[in-house]
Amino acid sequence: MTTSTYGADLDVRDLTRVFGDHRAVDGVTFTAPSGLLTGFVGGNGAGKTTTMRMIMGVLAITGGEVRFGGDPVTALDRRSFGYMPEERGLYPKQPVLDQLVYLARLRGISQRAARTEVLDHLERLGLGDRTKDHVEKLSLGNQQRVQIIAALMGSPRALVLDEPFSGLDPAAVDGMVDLLREHTARGVPVLFSSHQLDLVERLCERLVILKAGRVVAAGEPARLQETGRVRHRLVVSRDAGWVRGVPGVHAVDVDGPVALVELADAASGQRLLATAVEREVVHEFTPLRPTLAEIYREVTA
Amino acid sequence: MSTLTTPNSGTTAPAPDAGPSRESATRNAWLIVMNREIVVRALNKTFLVGLLVSIVLIAALAGFFAWQDSRTESFDVAVPAGDTTAVAAVGSAAAVGEERDAGVEIGTVEVADDAAARAALADGDADAWLHEGDDGWVLSAPGEPDGALTQLLAAGVEKEVLARNAAAAGTSVTELSAGSGLTTERLDGSAIDSGTLFFASFALALLFFLGAIGSGQMIAGSVVEEKQSRLVEIMATAVPLRHLLVGKILGSSVIALGQNVVFAGVGLIALSFTPMAGMLPALSTSLVWFVLFFAVGFLGLAALFAVSGALASRTEDLQHTTTPMMMAVMGTYFLTFSASGTFETVLSYVPITNVVSMPVRVLAGEAAWWEPVVSLLILAAFTWAALLVGERAYRGALMQTGGRLSWKQALRTEA
Repeated sequence: MTTSTYGADLDVRDLTRVFGDHRAVDGVTFTAPSGLLTGFVGGNGAGKTTTMRMIMGVLAITGGEVRFGGDPVTALDRRSFGYMPEERGLYPKQPVLDQLVYLARLRGISQRAARTEVLDHLERLGLGDRTKDHVEKLSLGNQQRVQIIAALMGSPRALVLDEPFSGLDPAAVDGMVDLLREHTARGVPVLFSSHQLDLVERLCERLVILKAGRVVAAGEPARLQETGRVRHRLVVSRDAGWVRGVPGVHAVDVDGPVALVELADAASGQRLLATAVEREVVHEFTPLRPTLAEIYREVTA
Repeated sequence: MSTLTTPNSGTTAPAPDAGPSRESATRNAWLIVMNREIVVRALNKTFLVGLLVSIVLIAALAGFFAWQDSRTESFDVAVPAGDTTAVAAVGSAAAVGEERDAGVEIGTVEVADDAAARAALADGDADAWLHEGDDGWVLSAPGEPDGALTQLLAAGVEKEVLARNAAAAGTSVTELSAGSGLTTERLDGSAIDSGTLFFASFALALLFFLGAIGSGQMIAGSVVEEKQSRLVEIMATAVPLRHLLVGKILGSSVIALGQNVVFAGVGLIALSFTPMAGMLPALSTSLVWFVLFFAVGFLGLAALFAVSGALASRTEDLQHTTTPMMMAVMGTYFLTFSASGTFETVLSYVPITNVVSMPVRVLAGEAAWWEPVVSLLILAAFTWAALLVGERAYRGALMQTGGRLSWKQALRTEA
């Protein structure tokens, strides 16, 4: 067997799932590249969970395919994927260590190796002294940590994580991201869904935005921001109402000396600035890149 | 063995042999699942306490029977001094008691007159006072005379009075009752009487009921626990669902069977201390058949209980989804311990009821040697069918998260 190489991309091609007459996922295509964090965003019911379940083979695929390293994904490939389902839980009445070792053993890791790895992970996430506690005695945040460990055991070759950060405080998020970075550094593709756009913006090298079962935007966050509408802010010494008269300039908002404008082209910008310098003192002229939240609102509107 | 990434070390070389070790691990995944089911269940406090209480109950019940049986009560009966009939009646009552092994010893206290008799009763020197009244005989006691004593004395009085009357008529009891004896004879040579048979069928039906309900609910609960927590989704990516189901069925079967073997063992040991010890060989044969039938039958039941768990979406749904199975198990319990005659013969071939009825018929000596074998084959066929259907429904229902499902929906869905 030579399939245990790392550095394979996870491709989703034209993936479709129909429930009755509802197309929950409708021709979704994107790539979660090897070694990168890919954020998967979209509103409730956009089809994120359904897509991830199909990638993991938990839900039957109506149409399209999932490819791993260029070839159609196999059950054996999926055995080596780490997966965190949504609305997840654990065995409430079993000790933390025991159930993580059990899950690791099901993935083909020997008892001893599983124990070592689980204890290592627990130690790192600050749960080293809770190994014998029943899961139901842990706080929700700590349960979340145990669940991520379940997904990360055994050097997974791809990670599919449904809302891995929900309910975690910022410090816990950072700790978990550090862990994920170790896996991307091995060349593992990481696909995770989230509602926290600021988090996705900060973490992801790739972004896929889903709306009503379709991909409405995908790519690097910086590129997406460039393709979005760029606005400029102009701050002058007196009233800026005159900007409305400059050709090629659309004044979105004028509030005393502050004007928010959209420019038709680069020349309009030069014209606007020249006029401003001529008329009064210019305090500020700044391009405003849209935040991910703005892009998200724009594409899903 | 795969080389593992230690989280601390950051990047690590890929595990070169992760593939083969993962593949071979699939083959014994059911074993890992089975072990967990057994360990988790065996360490469960509620289960252990229940088991212990049941064992204590069985032992206590057997102990009570043994004590009841070995205990002898002695009575002193006051009789008028010089009344030979009364003395003889008490004597033959004592003889009858001994003959019947009734555990009653009877002694006589002669009293001078009625006043002395009443005084003896009042002082507790005598438990009862037997004397001839105007119309037959009277047994007086401070309260209601003891039932067993009354029965024996009635027989004793009847015998003596009969003898006295016969002598008066110039004949004897022996002549009068010549040729009137009735003895019973069993052609099958079985030593089991109908009372024991009823007790045994009740015990087997109860064993079946406790094992099937307890372990059935356990497997249904464990299935829905994994479904509700989505652990099953994680496991489904790691191992084929069939392994998960097989591991669960075998694990809960081992527990159910182990529990029954323990109960039966405790019961048999307890019985050996009672006068019923003579029936042990016959009972043991029947129990061996029962364990065999139960082992085969429970595999099928467990598969169906697993589906009941998979049909539920949350633990709260279990009560609803397991109802049909509960009814089936309870129905089996009530039908089998009360059945007799042709009906019982039919039940001894119908799957699930035959788990109880066939061993009972074996115990009664009614079944020919080939009958349990045929019945067991029928049961095995039922179990095989239940496993096939159950496996399909289990896979179909497990990944569907939108509320409670029906059997039809589960069977129709392809994962």
